[in-house]
This record gives sequence, C-alpha cells and structure tokens, in this order.
Amino acid sequence: MTPLERQIIDEHRAGRLSRRMFLRHASRIGLLAALPAPAAALGRPGATVRVASQVPSGALEPLTVSEIGGLAMLCQTGEFLIFDGSDLVLRPSLATGWTPDADCSTWTFTLRPGVKFHDGQAFGAADVVATMDRLCDPRQGSNALSVLRGVLSPGGTRRIDELTVRFELDAPNGNFPYYVSSDNYNAIMLPANYAGDFEANFNGTGPFRLERYAAKQGASFVRNPAYWGRAALPARTEFTFFTDQQPQILALEDDQVDAIVQISVQGAQGLLRDPDVRIIDIPASTHRQIHLRCDQGPLADRRVRQAIALCLDRPGILHGLFQGRARLGNDSPFDPMFASTDRSVPQRRKDLSRAMALMNEAGHADGFETTLTTERQQEIPDLAVLVQNACGQIGIRVGLRIEDPGTYYGTAQFGRSDWLDSAIGITDYGHRGVPNVNLAAPYLSNGAWNAAHFRSAEYDRLVAGYIAATDLSAQRVLAGRIQTLLLDETPVIIPYFYDYICATGPTVTGVAVSGLSQIFLQDAALS
Amino acid sequence: MTQKLFGSFSRKRTSFLFGLLVLAFWVACAFVGPFVVPQDPYADDLMNALAPPSAEHWFGTDQIGRDVFSRVIAGARPILSVAPAATFLAALCGTMLGLVTGYAGGWVDTVLSRLVEVILALPLIVVALLVLVALGPSSLNATLVIALVFTPIIARTVRSAVLAECKLDYVPAAQLRDETALHIMFVEILPNVLPPIVVEVTVRLGYAIFTVASLSFLGFGIQPPSPDWGLSIAENYGLIVGGYGWTVGFAALATASLVIGVNLVAEGLQDAAR
Repeated sequence: MTPLERQIIDEHRAGRLSRRMFLRHASRIGLLAALPAPAAALGRPGATVRVASQVPSGALEPLTVSEIGGLAMLCQTGEFLIFDGSDLVLRPSLATGWTPDADCSTWTFTLRPGVKFHDGQAFGAADVVATMDRLCDPRQGSNALSVLRGVLSPGGTRRIDELTVRFELDAPNGNFPYYVSSDNYNAIMLPANYAGDFEANFNGTGPFRLERYAAKQGASFVRNPAYWGRAALPARTEFTFFTDQQPQILALEDDQVDAIVQISVQGAQGLLRDPDVRIIDIPASTHRQIHLRCDQGPLADRRVRQAIALCLDRPGILHGLFQGRARLGNDSPFDPMFASTDRSVPQRRKDLSRAMALMNEAGHADGFETTLTTERQQEIPDLAVLVQNACGQIGIRVGLRIEDPGTYYGTAQFGRSDWLDSAIGITDYGHRGVPNVNLAAPYLSNGAWNAAHFRSAEYDRLVAGYIAATDLSAQRVLAGRIQTLLLDETPVIIPYFYDYICATGPTVTGVAVSGLSQIFLQDAALS
Repeated sequence: MTQKLFGSFSRKRTSFLFGLLVLAFWVACAFVGPFVVPQDPYADDLMNALAPPSAEHWFGTDQIGRDVFSRVIAGARPILSVAPAATFLAALCGTMLGLVTGYAGGWVDTVLSRLVEVILALPLIVVALLVLVALGPSSLNATLVIALVFTPIIARTVRSAVLAECKLDYVPAAQLRDETALHIMFVEILPNVLPPIVVEVTVRLGYAIFTVASLSFLGFGIQPPSPDWGLSIAENYGLIVGGYGWTVGFAALATASLVIGVNLVAEGLQDAAR
C-alpha cells in the first residue's frame, strides 16, 4: 500500500472523511478501481426508450463539442477511460485501474481487454495515445484544451504495452483521473485511425450503436451485441431534438417521450409539482460567475466589489430562482459538495450596512454608474435584474445589456468578447467533479477566461500548490486559503451552485445522468 | 379637413369611441402609471415569487416576485414611447419621400419607387432583426428600425395620393404662378393629402405596437428590467405550462387591447376620410 493510500484510509478511520468522501478520494487514486457500478434496479429488457434532448448546435465532432445537445449525443456510443458518477466516485470504464507515482506527475492506466469499436477494431493503448494527443493539440481546435492546457501536452501519453498507457503530466496533478473521465466530456475514446467522421458512424465502444442520425431532427441507437459489459436493457433508444424546453415538457406530459435530458427550474415549475413525473435531481457544481473587473473604474477597489457581494440575498435567490434546488455559493469555485472544500470559511451573507460603509470608505458614497452585460440563457436575465436591484440599494446604478450567447461570448478573446471585456458580467460554468478547471482559467493571472482581469501572484501560487497536492488534508488547507483570498478580493461573485434535473415518465426506470447533461440509458426500462 | 374627416363619423361612432377610450386609458397609464401603481414595478420579492392573484397582488407576481399589475400598468410607457415615435418618424420621412416621388415623376420617381419596392419586398421582422443585430438591441435602435421599415409603406400611400392631386387644376395653376416645387408640394398638395396620411399613420401605429412587442419578445427591442409587455411575455411564457398563466396573460391582454383600440380608432378615421 502506498503512503497516499494509507493516508486516505487513516483519514477515514479517524472520522475526518465520511464514507462518501472516502469513496471519492480512494477512487481518485485508483484504490477502488475494482469498484462496480451501482447496482441498477433491472427492468424488463427490449424496450424502446424515447428521449427529448436539446438540439446539437453544430457538427457532432468529439474534439469540439461543447454544448448540452452535442455532449448528450457523444456518450450514447462513446465511452471514457473512467466514469465519473453522479456521486463523484470514479468507476472503471475502458480503464480498469490507475495509479500515480509518488508526486502524481505520472499516472499509469491499465486498459480493459476484449473491447471492440463498433466497426470491429480492437481497442488498445494506441487508441488512447491518439485520442489524448488529439485532445491536447492546440492545432486541432480541441475544446478539451480548456481542461488539459498546462496539464497534459501532445506526446505526454505513452504506450507501455497493448493494454497499458502512461500519462506524463506537465505538472504534478493529484486529481488527474477526473481529467480523463466522463467529467471531460470530449474525452471519449476514438480509434487511432479516426478520420473525423464521427457524425457519420458514431464509432465508439459503448453499449449502443448508431441506427440513424438526422442533424437538427433526432437520432436512434440500437443495442450493441458485441459490447464488453452487460448488454443494454433497451433494444433501441430514440432521441428527438428540440430547441426549447417548453415543447419538451409538453412531449413528456403527452407521453410522446419517456425522458427529458435536462430541465431547468425556470419554466418547469409545473413539471416539478406533477406527481406523475419522476424527477432525477442530483447535486452538481454548475454555477454562475458574476465577474467584477478588477483593473478599471470604481470596481478596481476591492471594497466596492465586496460591497456588491454583500448586497445579494442568496437564500432568497435560491428560493426564488431554484425553489431550493441549489446550494449557497461563497464566491469561490469550491462547491460545498467537494471533499476538499474548507467548510470552516464563513459564508458571506447579506449585510447592507457593511456594504454602505465599504462604499463610503472607497469614496463612492453617492454610488456610480456601470453596465452589466450577460447572456440570455435560463435564469441568467433574472439574476441580472436581481443584481441590478441589489446594487441599487447602495447607490450603484447598473444598466443591463442582455445579449444572445453568441454575441456575449464573441470570439472568446480579450478585446473581442463582451464576456471578457465587460465591467460586470454573468457567465455560466458547467459541472466538474473537482474544482481544478474552474480554479484555473477564470482566475489565474494568465487565465484564458479571466473576465475579472484579476491578477494575484499569491493566488497563482496557491492554485499551483492545490493542483499538485496529492493528499486530501493538504488540498483542504490550500482550499481554505484560496477561499479566504477570493472572499477578500472578490473578483467574482458565485451566488449559488444548482442541481442537475432530469425528468422521466412514471414508468421509466434505470436512467442515469451526470451533472454535465450526459444521459446513460443502458439500464433504462419501461415498466 | 376636420369636417371631411368626421363628416361620416356617426356610422361607426360606438366602436370608434370604444377604441378611443381604450387608447386614452393606456395613454394615461403611460403618463401617470408608474406614479400611481400600488407597488414598485421593478422591486423583486424573492420569497413571494409566482404568487397567484390576490388582494395584495391583483394580477399575482412573476418569477422574481415583481407585482404583475404594477408592471402591466407601467408597461404602457415603453411601448407607447417607441411605437408612436417610430410611426411619427416613418410618417415624416414617408410623407416627404411620397411627395417628392409623386410630384417630381420621371427618373426621380422611377429610382426612388424601385428602392421603396425593394425594401417592401423584404419581410419586415427579418429586416428589423438584421439591423438590430448589427446595431445592438435598444429602445432607440428599435424606434429607428421600425421607422425605417414603415417609411416605404407610408411613402407609397402618399405617392398615390399626390399623383391624383397633381391632375387637379390647382397644381398647374400654382406652377403657372411660378411657385417653387417645395411650395407646391408642402403648401398646395400636402394639406389635401393629409386625410389618407392620418389614416395610414393610425393603421401603422397598430402595426408598430405589434412590431415593438415582437422585437422585445425576441430580445431585440426594449431591454430588461423594463415592464414592457412583449418583454414580460418573453420572460415568463415558459411558466404557462406550469399553471402560472397570470405572469403572461395580463401582458398579452394589454397588448391585444391596445392594438384593438388603435385599430378601432383607425377604422373610424378611415370611414370618416371616405
């Protein structure tokens, strides 16, 4: 047993790690690699399961997909090395085991034998090397670079033998298995000779194979008889694409579909109250970031940023916007659900008198004018109005500019993106099993998503230490310091983390989902 | 002109008066509504979100707890600022364009009329959306865009009326007196083509109200947190399925009543003009 494994077991024995947290951390370092998937309540096989899904916005290319509709499609036939379940415990998928070296700068993965792609090719180490090199290569336009940049470079994945690969990382990383798990939705394993034709054949290793795909309309899949694992229960699955949530809700209520991949509380309040609908509600680290530009105007003064954060009625927002299906945010990416989050850091609460005092100290007793720019998506416009009203209480007159997502994100480059250039903005951030990705790009001094233009050498140093930390106690110490620093600087306000919600008909069982809008139907059945 | 307009007024007097009453109500709301509503139409109350109609909130509350009644009353102002302004601007430009093309004739008429036909051939809402995507959504830009797409329509009506007037004796008489073209167009002809212009403008106002509501619904018109009706419908329409119809229904009724009111007035004026 390695010192790292022993340390996690000792933490659990000493009562500092709950059983759930123990499972997460033991799975991270491969200690529980033989852990089976949670037993599904097996239903009758042979059904056709019909699903309503958001329409994929562009071509289904695993390297570049970045939105709900597309990534729900990828995981129908594609599989990852590791499966990150809704409980954030890592379970073997195409990899059966993974172990780090002493400082977690090299990870060795053992691959599952006897796996075949749908076109008959055997899956092996060469496929992993080719897939990971593609994902890490800046010339390929990979969306996964948002996760892998600075973590793994092309050439860093090496074939040891037919069923063993080694990842030699750019820097030590204690959470690396999450980076190649279903958490990194682009990282489905593709054949080494992949020719960029995924949309034509959906060639993966999963329990379903493509029957038909019609862009903007839908897709259907049939059971893969050559699957390496337990055969899928449904004989067939059918996906119908929709652009809006309302027709999906109507289709479910009218029994035209058996499940909706994802619903948001806004507009689905009726469905959430319907006793004939099954709601799958899992905690996810999905959140909104309200960035405040630290490098110009009155917001450059951290007292002003703190004052704005102190105006928000967070419990009210949770109740009003999510009917309680969310958790309080404390202005850092450390969701309370993460094991490494330091829960002793005090929660920020609404305190108008303190906010007014801070505005006075900063010389802005009479307030000032600014503009909040954001995107038209789900509850975000409502949150923008709430921020506007909250700022009004301390004299800050906020104008709203609400744009379609394409205009808001622009080219996602500084100087050419309303997201990255606005004084105040609200941006959506997806679920991750660990906070690593969200600690880096949006906050680091050279971060590609640093819309707050936040620069702190101390923060950069702490995050580098956190990412490299291997044991949980070290991660917690650093997490606490990062959380405290972000509360003090407040480059970003994170008012909440909200749940992922999927809805199914009353007769549907065995549907599994992840916080990233991935839906897994191999155990689905209709009773 | 007044006598001509209202001469045959009695036939549709009731519907005209009803329309005028509805229009007057909403105009009054636009002027004084925000000052007399029972609650601040912008104030959120998250603990009281989606409350059904009650004695405290006559039309219920929306999803961040804002009072729907107050927002419907206050919502008359944005739509009755943009729509009439756009219609007036279109009337001004359209009348000038129509006068020039109708009176000048020849190549001026040919060129400008083809230009007008090109604009008229494009779907109104598509043109408006394209321009607003380029300019960015705002009330001012919505006003300018609606004026732009309505100008050719009014110009064509004015041109037809001017062509008819040019055949009457008083126009050649003015030319024989060596009056300038500007004088003939604006002093001689314009007063005689005012009745159809007034009718056209009133009809266009109804369309402008619909266009403003549509653009706001699509996110390209009036922007949040305005209580504008089209915007309110866009923000809340997803709630209808959940049984929260009051968040949308009252704003939709307000839009419909205003358009009907304007159309009844337009119809009355049209009859009078005939």
